Amino acid sequence: MQIFTRTSNDIHIVSIAGSLDSTTSPEAQKSLTAMLAGVKKVALDFSELDYISSAGLRVLLGAAKQLRASGGTLGMFGLNQSVREVFEISGFSTILSIYQSEAEALAAM
Amino acid sequence: MQSRAECNFPTDRRGELGHGFRMSVGAHPGGVGEVNAALAEFAEAHALPEDLRRDLSVALDDLLANALSHGRTGPDPCSVTVEVKLDQERVTVIVTDDGPPFDPFARAAPDTTLSVEERPIGGLGIHLVGQLMDKVDYQRRDGHNVVVLVKELANG
Repeated sequence: MQIFTRTSNDIHIVSIAGSLDSTTSPEAQKSLTAMLAGVKKVALDFSELDYISSAGLRVLLGAAKQLRASGGTLGMFGLNQSVREVFEISGFSTILSIYQSEAEALAAM
Repeated sequence: MQSRAECNFPTDRRGELGHGFRMSVGAHPGGVGEVNAALAEFAEAHALPEDLRRDLSVALDDLLANALSHGRTGPDPCSVTVEVKLDQERVTVIVTDDGPPFDPFARAAPDTTLSVEERPIGGLGIHLVGQLMDKVDYQRRDGHNVVVLVKELANG
């Protein structure tokens, strides 16, 4: 699992590559918590994310709560079929903003 | 921490019913990683559809992480055995451990309609396993917990 960041205007784009599971989540959580401090708009780029298990969902839920507490917003794009399925089953697709593409995310946020 | 090689079964068995592998790992987070790495290797070697392999990875990760979080760890560092079998119709995964009796599927499904603020952290893993797989089963057999996951290839 690797995390990269870039910015587009005032939006921080965080790319998570590999898998978000029980093995990689502790590190992802640490990195994300640090990256989100003092940031308002965050778009997660999942185009290189292979799969996400509930351990990964917990990291995203923590990130969403952290951003909401500071008045920020969290969006995501580039989900493959398996990741999308996990979001739908867990109900996360209704509580976190999912966009079809980077362009759509940037325009909406 | 004992390495996989020291407690492993042969990792590539071929029988008349198809292909598969069996491995034993310690009940610790590194063991979960070893299983998922072996599954990825197996899926690639047998050209399993990507999304089917991803669903299996999620289910195995959540099942094994759930076992660890409930402290079902025996003294044996190779106490969890994962067997993966592939035939023309389906992938079957059998996870066996020697911990105290524990049926992971006996818990009620979490409320997935709650908002981000109301949602308790955790409790989703086993729900995901049940939904992503075509069939799940638990049995207590000969002092072991035996969990079976089935994913049909046609639905993959």
